[in-house]
Amino acid sequence: MRAQLVALAALALTQAVAAQQAPSTSPAGSGGSSNAALIGAVPEGPVPRLQDGTPDFSGVWVGSGPIGDISGGLMPGEELVLLPAAKALKESRMAADDPEALCLPTGVPRIAPYPWRIVQAPAYGKATHLFFLFEGNIHSFRQIFMDGREHPDDLEATWYGHSVGHWEGDTLVIETVGFNDLFWFDFVGHPHTTQLRTVERYTRTKVSELEVVTTVYDPGAYAKPFTVKYTHTLRPGWELMEYICNENNQDVEHIRGPAGL
Amino acid sequence: MRFVWSLAAALAATLSAGSAAAHHSFAAQYDANQPVTLKGVVTKVEWTNPHARFYIDVKDADGKVVNWNLEIASPNYLKRAGWSSTSLKQGDEVTVEGSMARSGANMANAATVTFADGTRVFARSAADNR
Repeated sequence: MRAQLVALAALALTQAVAAQQAPSTSPAGSGGSSNAALIGAVPEGPVPRLQDGTPDFSGVWVGSGPIGDISGGLMPGEELVLLPAAKALKESRMAADDPEALCLPTGVPRIAPYPWRIVQAPAYGKATHLFFLFEGNIHSFRQIFMDGREHPDDLEATWYGHSVGHWEGDTLVIETVGFNDLFWFDFVGHPHTTQLRTVERYTRTKVSELEVVTTVYDPGAYAKPFTVKYTHTLRPGWELMEYICNENNQDVEHIRGPAGL
Repeated sequence: MRFVWSLAAALAATLSAGSAAAHHSFAAQYDANQPVTLKGVVTKVEWTNPHARFYIDVKDADGKVVNWNLEIASPNYLKRAGWSSTSLKQGDEVTVEGSMARSGANMANAATVTFADGTRVFARSAADNR
């Protein structure tokens, strides 16, 4: 093990020098290095398809996006306009109260920087359900109904809400309602209310890239809807691992100050 | 080779001014403007979530031994970067470069760990490394 670490450290140094000479152009939070050799061979060619012709989104992705401040993901021309009560709430929030720091779910569209996998059921043919399996921030999942059902009338508020999906061409569109107001959009504490409704549009723009354009509708917290874009990156050959956040969370008692980056 | 990835990713995150942290805001818990170098002997390793931790006994200027609590990346991140749960062992002599906790506790986030034989490895998640 030690010998392996030595060799790797030496290689790492070489990489470090090279990287310093040629600064990365990858966007903030792009999920890490763009050097394909370091993250496994990235396949090329057409996006794979399932038996029913829909794009195959299976595989392990690393979530990325402006996890520090959601406004960093705004599409061109978009703006995030907080209503007064939401602004006051955001400004009152303390970093130690961030649900993510407390090992609670991220909700939507917040992204944790951990791998996740999309699984459909049944595995072949037309999907009735999609599951997003999250390694972190907590070992959790989202369930998306693909069987044409509507949102029920008697929804109780939950962290991930009630999601129904359909295909528009090669784009998977997921509409979610029924959220609680407990999760934050980011480290700076952008809030929302139970009026939140999200529409996510997932497109596998390349074999190695899953683009997610999410429009956030929440007339309880924002003066108008806004749209953010996150891009997930394929991690070929990776498998999900365990991540039980509550196991030894000593962080919270040492976190100080208002919510922020 | 996976270990190389972790450094490259760390650099990419650094160079692109990524402000992402893992499950908490790095800056809310640690002060990047308060770097610390600690030399000591490993007393305990916790291969746990949300962060792996290890503890070292450090002798201060007066010869008094102080136990420090050092946060590193999560086990899943570390494993993918080439670490294992036995990369650090009780009794190892190490030098740690990191950032002090804001709380004033004898706690730091370790960016690198240097072993007695001079091997220096990264210990912080790419997202926290800035």
